[in-house]
Amino acid sequence: MSEQNKLQKMKTLKINKIIVLLLGLVVFTACVQDDEFNTPNTSVVEPNIPENAKVQISALAGELAQAQDNTSLDYTDEETTYLYTFNEAPLYMEGYVVSSDEGGNFFEEIIIQDNFENPTIGIKLLIDVNPLFVRYEPGRKVYVKLNGLSVGITNGVLTLGALNGNEVDKIPSASEGDFIFRSATIQTLVPMPLDFSDFSDDKTNLFIQLPDVQFNRNIVGDNAQTYAAEQSDEFDGERTLESCSAAAAVIFSTSTFADFKALTLPSGRGSMNAILTKDFFGEVYNVVVNTPEDINFDNPERCDPDFLECTGPSGGGSAIYEEDFEGFGTYNSEGWDNINISGTDTDWFISSFSGNFYSRISAFNSDNDEADVWLVTPEIDMDMTTGEELSFDIQANFDNGTNLSVWISTDYAGDPTTATWSILDVTIPVGPASTFGNFETVGPVNISCVDGTAVIGFFYEGSDPSATTRYHLDNVIVTGN
Amino acid sequence: MKKSFLLFLFGIAFSLTSFAQQTVVKGSVLDGTTGEPIPDVTITIEETGQTKKTDSKGEFSFTQNVPLGEQVLKIEKVGYTTKRYPIVVNEGQTVDISGMTLDFDTSDKKDLFIISISDANLNSEDDGLTDNISGLLQASRDVFLSAAAFDFSATFFRPRGLDNANGKVLINGVEMNKQFNGRPQWANWGGLNDVQRNQEFSMGMSANDYNFGDLAGTNNIVMRASKYRRGGRVSYASANRSYTGRVMGSYSSGLLEGGWSYSVLGSRRFGNEGYIDGTLYDANSLFVAVEKQINDQHSINFTGIYAQNRRGRSTAITEEVFNLKGRQYNPFWGTLNGDVRNSRIRETNEPILMLNHYWNINSKVKLNTNVAYQFGEIANTRIDNGGTRLVTINGENTYLGGARNPDPMYYQNLPSFFLQDANPTAFDYQQAYLAEQDFINDGQWDWNALYEGNATLRAQGGNSLYALQADVIKDQQLTFNSILDAELADNIRLNAAVNYRSLKSENFARVEDLLGGTGYLDVDFFAEEDANSTISDEIAANLAQSDVRNPNRIVGEGDRYKYNYEINADVISGFAQAQFKYNKVDFYAGVSLSQTTYQRNGLYENGFFQGDGRDGSFGNSEELSFSNYGVKGGFTYKVTGKHLIDVNGSYFTKAPAIRNAFSNARQSNATTIGLESEKIQSVDVSYIFRSPKVKARITGFYSGFQDGSDIGFYFTEDLAGLGVDTGDAFVQEVLTNIERRHVGVELGIEAQVTPTIKLKGAASVGQYTFQNNPDLYLTSVDFQNRSDIGTEVRFGDGTTQLDGYHVAGGPERAYQIGFEYRDPDFWNIGITSNFFSNAYVDVSNLARSANFTSDFDGNTFNDYDADVARDLLKQEQFDDYMLVNIIGGKSWKINDYFVGFFATINNVFNEQYRTGGFEQSRLANFRRMQEDQSRANGPVFGPRYFYGNGTTYYLNVYVRF
Repeated sequence: MSEQNKLQKMKTLKINKIIVLLLGLVVFTACVQDDEFNTPNTSVVEPNIPENAKVQISALAGELAQAQDNTSLDYTDEETTYLYTFNEAPLYMEGYVVSSDEGGNFFEEIIIQDNFENPTIGIKLLIDVNPLFVRYEPGRKVYVKLNGLSVGITNGVLTLGALNGNEVDKIPSASEGDFIFRSATIQTLVPMPLDFSDFSDDKTNLFIQLPDVQFNRNIVGDNAQTYAAEQSDEFDGERTLESCSAAAAVIFSTSTFADFKALTLPSGRGSMNAILTKDFFGEVYNVVVNTPEDINFDNPERCDPDFLECTGPSGGGSAIYEEDFEGFGTYNSEGWDNINISGTDTDWFISSFSGNFYSRISAFNSDNDEADVWLVTPEIDMDMTTGEELSFDIQANFDNGTNLSVWISTDYAGDPTTATWSILDVTIPVGPASTFGNFETVGPVNISCVDGTAVIGFFYEGSDPSATTRYHLDNVIVTGN
Repeated sequence: MKKSFLLFLFGIAFSLTSFAQQTVVKGSVLDGTTGEPIPDVTITIEETGQTKKTDSKGEFSFTQNVPLGEQVLKIEKVGYTTKRYPIVVNEGQTVDISGMTLDFDTSDKKDLFIISISDANLNSEDDGLTDNISGLLQASRDVFLSAAAFDFSATFFRPRGLDNANGKVLINGVEMNKQFNGRPQWANWGGLNDVQRNQEFSMGMSANDYNFGDLAGTNNIVMRASKYRRGGRVSYASANRSYTGRVMGSYSSGLLEGGWSYSVLGSRRFGNEGYIDGTLYDANSLFVAVEKQINDQHSINFTGIYAQNRRGRSTAITEEVFNLKGRQYNPFWGTLNGDVRNSRIRETNEPILMLNHYWNINSKVKLNTNVAYQFGEIANTRIDNGGTRLVTINGENTYLGGARNPDPMYYQNLPSFFLQDANPTAFDYQQAYLAEQDFINDGQWDWNALYEGNATLRAQGGNSLYALQADVIKDQQLTFNSILDAELADNIRLNAAVNYRSLKSENFARVEDLLGGTGYLDVDFFAEEDANSTISDEIAANLAQSDVRNPNRIVGEGDRYKYNYEINADVISGFAQAQFKYNKVDFYAGVSLSQTTYQRNGLYENGFFQGDGRDGSFGNSEELSFSNYGVKGGFTYKVTGKHLIDVNGSYFTKAPAIRNAFSNARQSNATTIGLESEKIQSVDVSYIFRSPKVKARITGFYSGFQDGSDIGFYFTEDLAGLGVDTGDAFVQEVLTNIERRHVGVELGIEAQVTPTIKLKGAASVGQYTFQNNPDLYLTSVDFQNRSDIGTEVRFGDGTTQLDGYHVAGGPERAYQIGFEYRDPDFWNIGITSNFFSNAYVDVSNLARSANFTSDFDGNTFNDYDADVARDLLKQEQFDDYMLVNIIGGKSWKINDYFVGFFATINNVFNEQYRTGGFEQSRLANFRRMQEDQSRANGPVFGPRYFYGNGTTYYLNVYVRF
C-alpha cells in the first residue's frame, strides 16, 4: 500500500515536471498576434523637395502654351500635350487641393490651385484612385512629381495626368505614391470672389465665391428640383444659377453619382463657394460644389424680377384671343413679330409633329453666342372684358437651363427694345437634357389689371452652346368675361 | 532521465537503455476461431491498472512494477468478447501465458460500434477544424471511412456526397448540430483529442441507441469522467497546415474511492500562419469532467468544455489571381506596425456545460437523462468601408463619404480589368502592367491607408470611414433529453428518447475596431430611393437607417449596428427503435417525430422594411412551424460468420435550417416563400466479408432529396426585365423545391498479408445530381420599393434549369491503394496513393434561370445563340489529381512512461490541384457572360477556386503515463 502511494507520489512529481516543461514550451513558441493593434503613426512627414525642383502651376501652363505655339494658353486646343520626360531632373509641381470627392461630386480627379488664397491658376489632376479626400483634403498642400506626366487641355480646362495616346488620362492607381506627395501644411482655403461676368478660361479650376446668387425661380419652390436626381438627369444635373447683382446666369452642375444628388435645391439667395470648371464638352462654364455645405443661401428674399401682380378676380371667361398655330400663315401675315434683337440669325419658326403645329426656337448649333429673340403676339384689346387670364403650352426639349420668359406690354410699337415690358409670373417647364419633353400648360396667369391694348412677348435668351434649350410654344389663349 | 526527456522533446530519437528485469508477465493472444494472432488487444493488470497492447504477433509483456501475488489480467478488444484470466506472480519469475484466445463477438451488436480511437487518430492533427473535414469520419474504423477521414478529407471529398449537416454529432447523448445550418460546430470542442477517445459511431441510417440519426451517420462522443482510463498524456505537435504547434496535457483519475472520478485537459494550438498565408491560429481548449457514482444504480456526471478558437480566414481565388500569386495567396491580410494582420478573423467562444444522470433501473433497463447549456458567440470580422458623415440641409439628410472596396483582390485592381476591351491600347497595357506588378509585389491589405483615411477625417471632425465589423451570432441553447435503453428479451432491445431544445440566437453586427476614428455613423451608405419608387417622402427619408426608431446613431467600439435580431427556435422530438437479434439475422425498426418552430424578432426597424410584424422588420415575424417524422428499418443477414449482407432503408422529413427559413433575416421579417421540410429517402445495401486476413465491404447507396432549400447572397448586374441600367442589385437568391439524387458504390478492403504488412484499398464512385429545376426568386432592397416590379423577382417560369447538373461538393470519384508496415519493435509506416476525379464547379443558379436569355426588357436577347449558350453554361469539371501520403510513428517505453512520435507527410509530390470552386453570379446573362468569357486576356469575373495544399507535414510527440 505504501509502495503504491510512493509510486503515486513519484508519478505526480514527474507529471509536475512535465507540466512545467510544457508551460515553458508554450511560453517560448505559442505566441500568436492578438486582436489588439496600436494605431499606426499616420502623421504626414514633410517630403524633402529641393527648392529648385519646385515648379508653379503657371509654369506648366507656359510649357503647354509653348507646345501649342501660342503666347497664352489656347483652352480649345485639346490635341496638344506637353510631356515631362523621365530624363530631366525631377520636377515637383506645388499647389493646394480645392476639390473633395467626399460627396462623390468629383471622381478620380483632384483640383489643385497655386495658392490657398488669391490664386491665379489651377489645374485638374487625373488619377485612378477613389476615395481621394482621405489623403488629399481641401486645403492640403501637395507636390506632384511631373516627370512622366503630361499636361494638356481636357474638357476645356488645364489638366495633368498620364499620357494615353494623345490625351491626358488618369494616373494608374498603382503609381499614386510615385507621383503625389503630401506636405504637412494644411491651410484654410480663402475662396476668390468672382462675378459671372469675370468668368474666364484662366479662372477655371479655382475655388471661387459667388457672392449673391440664387437658383432660377422655375426650379425652386413649389416645383423644386433636386441637385441631380430628376428622371431627366444623365451623368450630371445642370441647374440655372442666377446672379442677383447682374442679369446673368451660369450652369450649376452636380454629378448624378453625388451622395447629395437627391437633396432639394435651396430656395433662398446668398453666397456659394464652388469650383469653376466647364461642362463635359469643354464649352460652357459650370460651377461645381464639393458638398452642399458650400452653399449658404440664408437670405429668404429672392431677387426675382418684379412680376406683374394682378390681385383682382379673374377666370371663368371665354377666349378673347386664341392661337393654336394650325393653318397659320407667316408671323407677319398673322400679325406676330419675330425679332432677334442680337442681330443674329436664330429665330422662331413654325414647325409640326404628328399633325400638330407650333412655334419653335433653339440656339443649338447656331454658333450665335448672342441670340435674344422676341416673339410678340398681335394686339389684344383688354378694355372690353374683365378678369382676363393668359395660358399657353410649352414643350421644353434638350434643356440646358431655362432661358424663356413671358412679358406683357401696353405700349409696344414694333420695337421690343423700346417698349415697356412687365414680366409675368409663369413657371416655364424644365425639360429633359438629352431628348424631347412633353407639352405642358403654363398658367392661367391673372392679367386682369392690364387695360388698353396689350401684346404678350415670349423672350428667348439664347447663347450657343450654353443656353440652347429648344422650346415649342402652342395654344396661346387669353380669356376674359 | 530528465536529459532523456529533453532530448526527446527536441525530436531526437534515442536508444532505450536496458533495465534489469526480474519479474515479468508475458503472453500472446490468438483468435479463438482461426488461431491467428490478434494485434492491438488491450491487456490490463486489474489491480494496478497497467495496460499493454499486443503487437502484430499478438504478443505482450509487462516488465516494470509488476504486482506480486494473485492477479487478474483483463483482455479486451473491440469486436471481441472480453475475458479475464487469473494468474499468480512470483517475484523474480516470468509468467508466460501464451495462447490466450479471444472470440469474435457476434452477440452484442452494440459493441461493434464502440470505437476506441486509436493512437493514430488521436495523434492526428485533424480535430474537425479543418474547414472541409467531416469530423464524423475520424471516429470510424471502417476501412473505407478511415481512408476517407485520413486521406480523402484534404480535398473536400465527402462520403456519398453528403454535407456535414447530414450527420449527427452528440456529446454524452446530447445533439450538438447547430440549428442555424444543421452542422456541428467542431471548433466548439476542438483541441480535446485526448478525451475524445471514446466515440460511438453508427454508419448511415443504421440503428443507433441515442437518436434517429441522419444519412451520414451518428457519432456520440462519450466524455464521461468514469469512462476514462487512469493516466495522463502530454503531447506536442508541430505542423504547417493550419496550426504550427499544439501542446496538450490531460489526466484522468480513473475510478477513485468513494465513487468519484475526474478528467481534465488543457491544450493550446497556435500559429501565425498555416499553409495559406496570413491564416493565424489561436486556440485554447479546456475540459473538465467529474463523475460521482452514487451507487450501483445512479451516477451523475458533469462535463464542461471551453474551446476558444480564433482563426484567420482565407478565400477562393480566380485563376488570374492564382497565376499571379499562387495557391498560398490570401488577400485578407496586410502588415500593420510590422505585424501580419488578417482582416477576416473567425472567433468562436461557445462553452458547453452539461449534467448527465445515468440510472440503471435494473440490469436490463437504463435511463440516461441530460441537461446541457451552451452559450457564447461566433464572430466573423470584415472591413466596413461605408462610413459617412451626416449633413442636414433644410431638414433633409444626406450622407457624405463611403469608399471603394479596399480589398486588394478587388476586380478593378487586376490586370484583366484594364485589358477587358477587345483591342487594348498601349495605355491599357501600361496600366495592366503596373497593376500586375503592384499585385505581385504587394497585393495585400493596406491597413495604413485605412488608418490614414480615418485620421484625416478625424482631424476634420468626421466619423470613421473604415471600421472593422464583426458579424456576431450569440446563442443561448438549453437542451434536455432522456434516453432509454431496455432489453425486453435476450434478443430484443428497445431504445427510445425524448428531446427538447430551446435556442435564443441573437444576430447582429458589432463595431470591433474604429481603426483610429472616433465613431461610425450607422446608416446604409448605399441606400438610395429608386427612381421608380412610389413610397412616401417620410419613408424615403429613412431608407438608409438601420434602425428607424433610433436614426443616425454614431456607434463606438463594442456597439451593435447595421442589423440586430433574434431567432427563437424550439424543437421537441421523440424517437423509438427496436432491435432484434437472431442467429442468422439481426434487424431493427425505428420511428421519429418532431415539431420545430422558428420565429424572428427584429430589434431594429430597418429603413427599407419599415413597420412591424410579418411585413416589416421590427418585432415578431410569422412563426414558422414544421412537423416532421421519419421511419427506418434494416437487417443484417449472416450468411456465414464471414459473409454478411447488411441493408438499411429510411424515409424521413427534416425541417429546414434557420438560415434558409428567413430570406433576408438581417433586414426583414420576410420568411422564405415556398419553404418546405426536406423529404429524404435512402437505401444502402452492403456485402461485408471478414476473415482474420481480409476485411472488405462493398456498399451500393441511393439517397433522394426533395423540397430542399438554399439561400445565397451576391451582387449582380443587369437583371432581366428591370430596365436599362437599373438592373444592378445586391440580392438574396432563394432556391426552393430542390431535388437531388446521390447514388454510388463504395468499397473498402484490407488484407493482413503477413502479421506485419497490411494492404488496403478503398474506392468511391458516385453521381450526385440535381433531379429537377428548382424554384428561384430574388429579393433585394434595390427593388423593394419599386412600383414596377414585385418585392420578389422571378424569371420566366420561375425556375432554374439545374436538372442534370452535378451537386458541387468534392470529387465524386476517389480511389486509394496503400500499405502499412507495423514492426514488432513498435514502429510503423504507411503509404497511400489517392486518386481523385469528377469534381465539379458550383454553378450559378441565376445564370441557369430565364434571366440568362433575357434582355433588360424581359425579352430574349436578339443575338441569343443556343449553341454558344450551351458552351457558356457547361459545368466545369476539375482536373484529376493524385495525392501520395506517408504516415509513420514509433513508440518506446521508459520506466512507466510511453513515449512516441507520429508523423505524416501529405501530398508528397506537391501536386497542384483544385478542391472546389464556384461561378460568380455577377454577370449572369448570355450577353455579359459571353463578353466576359471571350475576353482575350481572361474574364474579369471568372469562377473562383479553392486550391489544395502542397506538401505539408505533421509531427506529434507524446508521453503517456
